[in-house]
Amino acid sequence: MSETTFMGVPRSRIDWSPRIDYAKCNDCMECVKFCPHQVYEVREGTTPKLIVKSPENCVVFCRACAKTCGVDALSFPDKSQTTVRIKEIRKELEGP
Amino acid sequence: MNSTKPYAMLPCNGLDKAAGCVAREVAIELAERTGGEILCPVFYRVADARYNRLAQEQPLLVIDGCATRCASKLAAEKGLKPARKLTVTEEAKKIGIELGGSLRLDESGRRLAENLAAVLLQPESAPGASSNGTVPTAFPEHFEYDVYQKDKFIFRLPKSGFYFNENDFWVLVNGSVARVGMTDYLQQSLSDIVGLNLPAVGAKVEQFGELGTIEASKAVLDVISPVTGTVRAVNQALSASPELINQNPYEQGWIAEIELIDFEKDRELLLDCAGYWPILKRKVDEFQAK
Repeated sequence: MSETTFMGVPRSRIDWSPRIDYAKCNDCMECVKFCPHQVYEVREGTTPKLIVKSPENCVVFCRACAKTCGVDALSFPDKSQTTVRIKEIRKELEGP
Repeated sequence: MNSTKPYAMLPCNGLDKAAGCVAREVAIELAERTGGEILCPVFYRVADARYNRLAQEQPLLVIDGCATRCASKLAAEKGLKPARKLTVTEEAKKIGIELGGSLRLDESGRRLAENLAAVLLQPESAPGASSNGTVPTAFPEHFEYDVYQKDKFIFRLPKSGFYFNENDFWVLVNGSVARVGMTDYLQQSLSDIVGLNLPAVGAKVEQFGELGTIEASKAVLDVISPVTGTVRAVNQALSASPELINQNPYEQGWIAEIELIDFEKDRELLLDCAGYWPILKRKVDEFQAK
């Protein structure tokens, strides 16, 4: 099962997942092999072959799959902005 | 390294990327200048007796080409402990050299290889240089733990005083200074920790920012800082003995000390021991179920 909240915020409201630069990706699939959360999906016979299928499975602030990418094709949102946004959502959820 | 012995060198020599070709060139350069021996990763895969002996007798230098870190993974598979390591693509970024795509060394590749060889001919900074000269902050050496047991696995969690982020890193505050490390759950899920890239003393870090990296036999992970501040010290004992984290990540296995800026603000996105306990249990249960 995937995380459904992060610090009390519904995971679906947090924009955190890998972005694939298809100009760099060489379909080595090291990221797929590494990620234990089934964020990616491999679609044999299609272009692109690799997609981010389940972005909400991605662990917020984890960028470990990018460390396996030999061609530097994976990037993530800005951490500071994401932190600010999480705090804002927490405030909204707390109510006035 | 503070040794008169030349390195035994395990380079990436991946011939499908420019960075691999640079790693190979660095190893050749050092071999010619120091008499050190090169361990060919391809041959090492099929016949390891001679290389195992060399790696035991001489300090091991691992030169990875890119983030895939094949040479590091091979060293971990063979149970070797590197004395020194670097990754060509990371060093290229630091120096500001852009590598081309050519597999034959071009001007930038040659310049990078020479640069890295020169760096590796210099001794590393002394192991004692772990803090910025400020008075050390005293932290307790031992703690009391609650334990969550699942089958044969036992996960420790300090009874009190610690805070955690949901990425499984802890912080222990003492005045304006905090010690940071990883949880017992994380170290066990990573299995054997074989190396760390510790952050630089004086570096500034944001909450959830990167505070160095941890290299385990399974993966390389960022240390995700639970707090914002400035690195005032790092645990240099981990450079020689990363397994201290596996032994006890809350005590001898701490990673860095941070001069805090606003812990009250950081605490908004942290959990205390009681708050982290159900998250630990859920993660352990999910991990075991896989």
